[in-house]
Amino acid sequence: MRQGFRQSMAWLHTWCGLLAGWILFAVFLTGTASYYRQEISAWMRPELHRGVERAAAAERAVDYLQQVGPAARSWLIELPDDRNRAIRVGWSERDGLGGFKLATLDAASGTPAAVRKTSGGDLFYYFHFDLLVLPFRLGRWLVSLCAMAMLVAIISGVITHRRIFADFFTFRPRKGGQRAWLDGHNVAAVLALPYHLMITYTGLVTFALLLLPWGVDLAYRGDRAGFQGEMFGQMRPGPKAGEAAPLAPILPMLEQAGRHWGGGLPGRITVTNPNDASARVMIARGETDRIAITRKTVLFEGGTGRMLGARDDEGPAEQSWGVMYGLHLARFAPPALRALFFLSGLAGTAMVGTGLVLWVVKRRVRTPNWGVWVAERLNVASIAGLPGAMLALLWANRLLPADLPGRELWEFRSFFSVWSLALLGALLLRPRIAWRALFGLAAMLSAGLPVLNALTTQVHLGVTLRQGDWALAGVDLTVAALAPVFAALAWRAGRDARAGRAAVADAA
Amino acid sequence: MAPLALALAYAGFLALALAMDRHAAEMRAMRRVPPPRRRALQSGGTVLVGLSLWASVTAWGPAFGVVGWLGALTGGALVLVLVLALVPRLAMRLALPLLLCGALAAAMSG
Repeated sequence: MRQGFRQSMAWLHTWCGLLAGWILFAVFLTGTASYYRQEISAWMRPELHRGVERAAAAERAVDYLQQVGPAARSWLIELPDDRNRAIRVGWSERDGLGGFKLATLDAASGTPAAVRKTSGGDLFYYFHFDLLVLPFRLGRWLVSLCAMAMLVAIISGVITHRRIFADFFTFRPRKGGQRAWLDGHNVAAVLALPYHLMITYTGLVTFALLLLPWGVDLAYRGDRAGFQGEMFGQMRPGPKAGEAAPLAPILPMLEQAGRHWGGGLPGRITVTNPNDASARVMIARGETDRIAITRKTVLFEGGTGRMLGARDDEGPAEQSWGVMYGLHLARFAPPALRALFFLSGLAGTAMVGTGLVLWVVKRRVRTPNWGVWVAERLNVASIAGLPGAMLALLWANRLLPADLPGRELWEFRSFFSVWSLALLGALLLRPRIAWRALFGLAAMLSAGLPVLNALTTQVHLGVTLRQGDWALAGVDLTVAALAPVFAALAWRAGRDARAGRAAVADAA
Repeated sequence: MAPLALALAYAGFLALALAMDRHAAEMRAMRRVPPPRRRALQSGGTVLVGLSLWASVTAWGPAFGVVGWLGALTGGALVLVLVLALVPRLAMRLALPLLLCGALAAAMSG
């Protein structure tokens, strides 16, 4: 090991960054989009109207559940809020956990919304940590591995970056070539460094129980289900008493829970054995007004509405995990803060992207071997291909008929097939052409989306801006604002590649 | 209050950038930064960045505010870096309008 410490760190940074980079780019881009998961979901369900007061929504949910599942063992109710416009209910006949039939109700009418089936923004969210196409839990393990590589890359990057303070504001795009890419990589990384460290570490902590389950196994003697129940507060239905007892009104229970939390907002409502004497109603505290995501619940007797108890105390381990999980999801963030998270996420995406391009640009002239060939094409497929695929999902959501059976699956297929085609294009075409084509496609899809929206629905910008519906308008506006960015990237990519080839020709 | 936190972050980072020879020259402020001026700019910049923390905490409360402050710092720094890269002579002239907008937004909301 004749190398110095800094050089070793540089080597580590390069290899961890490169090998995990393509997956990390996808994770960062879909994860950043997931900050607006509810808004994207609302955009993809244009039939839903904006929500009404939560209390009224709770009553309507209960009314509906009394109709469809009066003898069910468990009910679930998720109330609408600022960002979720529908009521989501579930009912299950199972003795244990799970087995829920789900329905989405329109908040105003309390009846099932005639909404097109779509996974909405959930596709990006789940892809972000699960990768969706791998069996078992391989996707999560792969993402975790890449996240660990990312942590190594961040720390080794900071160590390698000698002039981190002197170069803090340095960005010289006009210089072109390696210097410009390196400057961009440094700026994207350093200016949001606290965020990058936080998001990577909290992401790994979120998977802590998947990655390191042995502590739980030891403490709970292998009863992982028992641990899950305690930690995540899932309530199993107890034995039925057999005597009928109508469910008490839910509103007073909601109010009492709110008072117990000093004004905190309720989140999910779980009812077990409704309409039976042994009925229980558990109201969990919501996640939009506090950072930590921990189970704070209040338990009521179903038939009388009497408060039986509350779960408030959390051990330090649970609170620590809850705060880290909460920071990662940022459900607590009000609009301005959410926008800053989004901005930092974009910086992270840019950091990974510029790093990948920099690796290729550095070696394209000096050592154009098969590794550089593969890396360049994977760069095209992920950096230019993924945005187009994400936009294709939104296009598919508008173009596919609302009553097409298996609609969700077709949307899913649109996303992955466009991305696969991008990969094919990246492998077959020359990089310069592939960069231009894919970024050009992204530019067209983003410019066209608001237009498509106007042609296919009643919730286009003309309507949503007038109504002040910023959730829906925001999706259209953000996508439209991306169009010139993609167009500029398409134009620049052609120039850079040409310069790269000229350099190769000169060197030859 | 959020816009004010961003504006204060921008102003603070601007002062810190002005303390560096390279960026002061870019912004056509001066060719070399004499040590006393550098120290003054660095202290001033740090104070402004600290005020950005105050604005964040006022906007979002103590817990969210600290998180939000880091976000505001990122936002302010990114804007400054982009301005320095594309139109460096505008960097100093942007500070006052941004601060005024921030103060106006704060007054209107608070």
